[in-house]
Amino acid sequence: MEGTMQKNADEILERAVLAAAEFQQFDQAHTDRIVEAVYKAGLNARVKLAKMAVEETGIGIWQHKVLKNVLATQIVYESIKDEKTVGVISDNPLTGITEIAQPLGPIFAVTPVTNPTSTAMYKILICLKTRNPVIMSAHRSAAKCTAAAARICYDAALKAGAPEDCIQMIPSGSREFTQTVMAHHKIALILATGGTGLVKAAYSSGNPAIGVGPGNVPVFIDESADLPFAISSIIASKTFDNGTICASEQSIIVEEKIEMQVREEFERQHCYFLTPDEIKKVEKVAVVEETMSMNPLIVGQSVESIAHKAGISVPEKTKILLAKLQGVGKEYPLSHEVLAPILAFYAARDYHHAIHLCIDLNYLGGIGHSAGIYANDEKRVLEFSQVINAGRIVVNTPTSQGAVGGIYNLLVPSLTLGCGTGGKNITTENISARNLINIQRVCHRKMNEKYMSVNRDMYFDEQYDEIALKQEYHKNF
Amino acid sequence: MVTINYNAPEKSIICSFSGKLDTNTSIQDGETISDRLAAITKTVDPADLKITFDLQDINFISSSFIRICVGTSKQIQTGNFGISHCDPFIKKTFKIAGLDILLKIS
Repeated sequence: MEGTMQKNADEILERAVLAAAEFQQFDQAHTDRIVEAVYKAGLNARVKLAKMAVEETGIGIWQHKVLKNVLATQIVYESIKDEKTVGVISDNPLTGITEIAQPLGPIFAVTPVTNPTSTAMYKILICLKTRNPVIMSAHRSAAKCTAAAARICYDAALKAGAPEDCIQMIPSGSREFTQTVMAHHKIALILATGGTGLVKAAYSSGNPAIGVGPGNVPVFIDESADLPFAISSIIASKTFDNGTICASEQSIIVEEKIEMQVREEFERQHCYFLTPDEIKKVEKVAVVEETMSMNPLIVGQSVESIAHKAGISVPEKTKILLAKLQGVGKEYPLSHEVLAPILAFYAARDYHHAIHLCIDLNYLGGIGHSAGIYANDEKRVLEFSQVINAGRIVVNTPTSQGAVGGIYNLLVPSLTLGCGTGGKNITTENISARNLINIQRVCHRKMNEKYMSVNRDMYFDEQYDEIALKQEYHKNF
Repeated sequence: MVTINYNAPEKSIICSFSGKLDTNTSIQDGETISDRLAAITKTVDPADLKITFDLQDINFISSSFIRICVGTSKQIQTGNFGISHCDPFIKKTFKIAGLDILLKIS
């Protein structure tokens, strides 16, 4: 069994390596024609793929999945189409450094159940833009729609002259096989988006990896914020695709002095604050007690469905369920990440306490991911940003749409958000084509005149200390 | 497009290629080579044959062409297949494919 698995992985990688060998000969124009063709095919299939994804996974809202597909194709394409990713990408006569882009080689791309077709198309586009063949691995509950997205992209790529096997899919359902491919020595990079287990597996594989796991996004509403605007924005974000984006708001933190105004505004905009008894019931269906991880059965479900599962009744057309909590951690299951229209709500004694809560929430499984603040006081924005460990702190912006970039701000549009070392990533950037090239630097001779003019015998003589050496280094400059 | 020269006394075949060796061209060339090889091996033991692919003036090869190189080399004795006049970029392509040693590139 193990031998067959290894043989199958070898065959997939052999094909990928041949594709890589052909691909690396392409020039920028040829590469860009392929990317354009794939983007067009993906964008044209946005509705069909969105409907397939919702039908197969039972998660989210198809219209919102359409918009995710638009982000993954049109918005991503517009951001990368003019980027140089082949050959000489910069040449600076002042520094004497010329940069040359080289492809990485076969990339193993794992896609999540929450955003299956959009993540697949986005990863394919950035891989092809950088002349890297991609091997896709879909979540088992989204295998068909992900395969359909990959097939649409592959057919378009081939028609535009891409190498055979530049996009391959591995069969889903076998964790062992996925790990075998992931750990194969011919894989150049793993792009893993998904749960904690998957991301850990990627990092343990021995291959370079960019793995993005969970977030636990705290959003602080400062007293200086425009409350109706802030709450409307939070609702638009948290209800988007029923809260399936990992950058969606998880907790709202306010000072006590504005609590009532915030509550009233949420209620006015059709959100519902759960009673303590209802919180207990929702906790039980939303979070698995043993692991404190979200229950997959409520991911991307509507408020009605969650209320039904929890055995509570909520007003008709409720958009979000809010749970006022007194603390953060195991005793408060809803303080953990839940990708559904449920928000934890905190009323802090004062600003200082509010920021402490934000830090606690941020470190409860969401280090390095994203955070949000609503404020019209730039001092508060900076204070908040400096104590929060997040790759993206979005200001007066819905975090779902804000963190992925390209719509509400000029962040690089992406469906894989780097979480820095806190999330065991090498970068906090929004991952895009620029992260999928090896940049070679051709360095022409440019002498360091200061160093050349130093009496270098001084370095060998211990009587000269740092002050003397510094003076000598800068002398006459 | 491939031109095949067979030197019967030396039992050596030189396949000279021209143009862009994309997927379609490679598949056609592969069939031509395969047919000719089948004819030759009716009278000559494949173990005695030497085959060289001459890549003078070639600056692009598809993955299909690489497969043909591998397939052809496997039909004769190890070490009797070689690639000559290989452009550095094409050598790098074989290197990335992990076949530079197997295929004896010069």
